[in-house]
Amino acid sequence: MKEIRFENVCKSYGKTEVVKNLNLTIKEGERLILLGPSGCGKSTTLRMIAGLEDITSGSLYMGDKRVNELPSGKRNVGMVFQNYALYPHMNVIQNITYGLKVQKFPKDEINLRTDAALGMLQLKGYENRLPKDLSGGQRQRVALARAVVKQSDYFLLDEPLSNLDAQLRVSARKELVKIHELYKQTFVYVTHDQVEAMTVGDRIALMYQGHLQMVDTPENVYNRPANIFTAKFIGSPPMNVIDMAFDNSNDSAYLAGQEIPLQEEWRNYIRQTGVKELAFGIRPEHITLSKTQLKNGLKGFVKYVENHGSSYGVYIDLEGNEIIAMSESNKWPPKEAIYVEPRLDKMHVFDKQTTNSIGYPTSIR
Amino acid sequence: MKTSRFKSIPWHIVFMVTIVILIFPIIFAIGMSFKPLEDAYNNTINFLPIHPTLENYLTFFDSMDVLKITSNTFIIASVVTFFKVITSFLAAYAFVFLEFKGKNTLYFLLISMIFIPFSITMIPNYLVISDLGLSDSIWGVILPQLADAVGIFLLRQSMKTIPTSLIEVARLDNLGHARIMKDIVLPLVKPAITSTGIWFFILSWNEYVWPVLILKTVDNYTLPLALQMYISSEGGTNFTVAMAVAVITMIIPLTLYLMFQKYIIGTFTSSGIK
Repeated sequence: MKEIRFENVCKSYGKTEVVKNLNLTIKEGERLILLGPSGCGKSTTLRMIAGLEDITSGSLYMGDKRVNELPSGKRNVGMVFQNYALYPHMNVIQNITYGLKVQKFPKDEINLRTDAALGMLQLKGYENRLPKDLSGGQRQRVALARAVVKQSDYFLLDEPLSNLDAQLRVSARKELVKIHELYKQTFVYVTHDQVEAMTVGDRIALMYQGHLQMVDTPENVYNRPANIFTAKFIGSPPMNVIDMAFDNSNDSAYLAGQEIPLQEEWRNYIRQTGVKELAFGIRPEHITLSKTQLKNGLKGFVKYVENHGSSYGVYIDLEGNEIIAMSESNKWPPKEAIYVEPRLDKMHVFDKQTTNSIGYPTSIR
Repeated sequence: MKTSRFKSIPWHIVFMVTIVILIFPIIFAIGMSFKPLEDAYNNTINFLPIHPTLENYLTFFDSMDVLKITSNTFIIASVVTFFKVITSFLAAYAFVFLEFKGKNTLYFLLISMIFIPFSITMIPNYLVISDLGLSDSIWGVILPQLADAVGIFLLRQSMKTIPTSLIEVARLDNLGHARIMKDIVLPLVKPAITSTGIWFFILSWNEYVWPVLILKTVDNYTLPLALQMYISSEGGTNFTVAMAVAVITMIIPLTLYLMFQKYIIGTFTSSGIK
């Protein structure tokens, strides 16, 4: 079993706690993405797996062994660093083979692995170059090749694509997935980029301020966010979350002082949960806009329109709440009245106090 | 372009004057070493000898075992340099790449030793060396000089420019500290090691006060002590021979400097480049 398991793991530097009571199981052979804004503890979590940070309390298991005290070199881990960490005085081949040579692998084996990695990562012909004579993308591939040739059980990547330009990032992303499909190591990938997380991950573990927010498939993280933070962090522009009043006596819901006709399943569901203070969430792409009155529409005023290329982001003032909706048109003059109709089959409801999702009625999705 | 060239003229004048001031004593010494003693007093304005002679050099070679004295100086300077570089390298590595309790306090204490004048440690060191029975021996000169706070400081500064991720990659490959030092840190700080080494060598080569305390027999002398014999009140003052000794003293450090000039200048300019 090549799984990684965190049990009540805490990590603090002096008095600052950077990872708080982490419980997480990374399954053998899966691609797990550690996602979160900078300073959320995701890199620290990865470095604990690598053994580069010690664990303040709790237990970390790799395979079936508790590894808290096991030194890095004994954990059978390959890692790609954000700055690539290539040895500046060694050429491409030396960088890739150095680890294997030190561990006294047979020469034939080293050549075989290196040759395969060079071919796969299109580094043939660059064998004798020093890192300083390579482009950013090439350096990134050398770092990748160096981790690949180890054929370790665990493959750790710390923001490996963040120093590449946007186009290169897209192709490198595909390359990473391809490599993983080939070797099927347990793959842990740290990033702050949600697109990378969505495209690369089998599962996403979202962290914020040292707390694990949600661990699930990219689909579920997007469609059924566990809390307001997740809802707003994933998706661009972020989900609109505004206060919702719910009248238990007649099962009617109000957004920004205007009644909104929820589906019956939702009304029953909300009543059953008995949560007092609610927040209503809707993604910008699940809102219909109109200049004339809509059946389920809320009235608001246009604040401004933002160009997103393929569509426009329309910022709307709803009785003091700002929401953003996506529209294919930019014909929304500022300060004019606008009618906003959320797609009620795509809505989310959160408990305002705990910020957690109250869940979804069974019949919906 | 043109304006900047004109702007640099005053700087060039400053540099030229500085160079003349720095180089004048060297030219003067070389010229003097080839003059007969009487010319040295009569023709002080002429830098170059009017009646060139090797007499001064011969006097020196006749009166002392020059080979022995040079080799004493060379052994002291080499051994001191070798150990100072090794101890500085090891200590700097620990201060940069190892985590241990009291690291910063220890480093602070060590660095504060740079500011303790030699005259304070001189007497205790002398007593220890004579108790060890090493007085009048070149090993007595060497022993207290095997570590150096300045060396630790310089190499630490240089090692701090190595990204820690390089060391972490090595740790993931199960490399021990010895291997990391040899294969990764050493090649990356080689220029700094070379320049600190040369600097240590030249310092030790020119060292006067400490050897003069320890060394008594002329056969154990170093070149600066030999030089001193020709300008002291006891030995009588013979400037031209003294200058010949000075020229001989100068040859080895100067050769070393010319050989490794690239590294020495590199160390002082590399701090800005990453």
